[in-house]
Amino acid sequence: MNFIVVGCGRVGAELCYHLFKGGHQVVVVDSRRDSFNRLHPDFRGRTLEGEGLAESVLERAGIQEANGLAAVTNSDTLNAVVAHTARAFYNVPTVVARNYDPNLRPIIEAFGLQTVGSTYWGAQRVEELLMNPSQKVVYSAGNGEVEIYEIIIPESWNGKTLGDLMNPIKQCYPVALSRAGRASLPEAGTKLQTGDLLNVSSTFAGMGALTERLSKKAEA
Amino acid sequence: MFVLIGGGGRTGTRLASLLLNQNYKVRLIEHRRELLTYLHQELPTEVIYEGNAVDPSVLEAAGIREANVVAAVTSEDATNLAICFVSKTMFEVPRTIARVNNPINAWLFNEKFKVDVALNSADVLAHLIQEEMSLGDMMTIFKIRRGSYSVVEEKVPAGAKAIGIQLKDMALAEHCVIAAIIRNGVMTLPRGDSTLKENDEIVAVASAQGAQMLSELLAHPVYPTRNGMKKE
Repeated sequence: MNFIVVGCGRVGAELCYHLFKGGHQVVVVDSRRDSFNRLHPDFRGRTLEGEGLAESVLERAGIQEANGLAAVTNSDTLNAVVAHTARAFYNVPTVVARNYDPNLRPIIEAFGLQTVGSTYWGAQRVEELLMNPSQKVVYSAGNGEVEIYEIIIPESWNGKTLGDLMNPIKQCYPVALSRAGRASLPEAGTKLQTGDLLNVSSTFAGMGALTERLSKKAEA
Repeated sequence: MFVLIGGGGRTGTRLASLLLNQNYKVRLIEHRRELLTYLHQELPTEVIYEGNAVDPSVLEAAGIREANVVAAVTSEDATNLAICFVSKTMFEVPRTIARVNNPINAWLFNEKFKVDVALNSADVLAHLIQEEMSLGDMMTIFKIRRGSYSVVEEKVPAGAKAIGIQLKDMALAEHCVIAAIIRNGVMTLPRGDSTLKENDEIVAVASAQGAQMLSELLAHPVYPTRNGMKKE
């Protein structure tokens, strides 16, 4: 597929390399030539020096044939405007705007754009790991407001039902239970065994409540 | 009338002063520290709202829900576009006006970013300069919305065919109306028996064809040369 990446900072350079390794055609646009020094030495895509809002630059980048555009500069306003331009003027099917300053996220939301806030998301992941080093996030939805966690059922809950464990907890839903490498959709009556891997879809608060409950011994 | 101005650079400050003098209600939003000190010397404190004008919560706190017009005049085109878009889509502001800083970005200033009026500083200035330089050439003051008519201005050069002919005899009817004659700095509304003199400036409403006819009537035989002498 054809992708355009606007902004060749750390995020942009990393994204370009990922897309290139995935076998895609990548054009990266930046107004500063020396930004392209951040690109991985093996990257074989096109670099285009110019302003991301200039019609001639976007057209030389092949925006008419682009399958997706990512606006990942360190200006939230510019990202929102570039992404909206791609969508509103060129009908690019998929556009994503990076959110750099969490305080400016409402600007990107005002345009109704898909966004990734690397600053906020990174801070939240570090916080989670600091608080609960044993839990693992396997999927992060939105800006990390809801994540899918993988937890291991401790011995103290062996033989209890999933309902016993989950019923009092809000903002946390079981989505899969894996035992001996086989996953199933769990139900309230499913009996837990020590070492089962349970996936839950949960907010940060819900996960806190579940972690606390798991660390206590089940009521008889 | 309440006007909300985004950006407190020279343009925003000048605009705010101008509107305050005409008793408009004005609020100007600016967040750059280095400009705020200067702004507080130039404008009354209650006019200045400190914050980033592109942030919807700042616009709301500055009173955008009561604004009749939003003028986005920061020095960044992306910011001006975003201010207009947010003002209309989130706050239903009736009219948005944006400053274009870099002419290469002018193509974006339209309904897709909810810009009602775009003013391209470089373009406006270039046209003014061109007008000052013009040696009797016709200047389009503005085009009448989506129509094929425009309001034009032209100086009557020495030797033009139109000199001495009464307006009613110029055979311009249907295509062109001479709406004003400016002679020695005084504007008069002409009548059918008015005539033109050398160095008059005229303002006319004309169709494309009328403008062409007018231009032929006002054609100057030769351009003055640098030292003011006429070419042979």
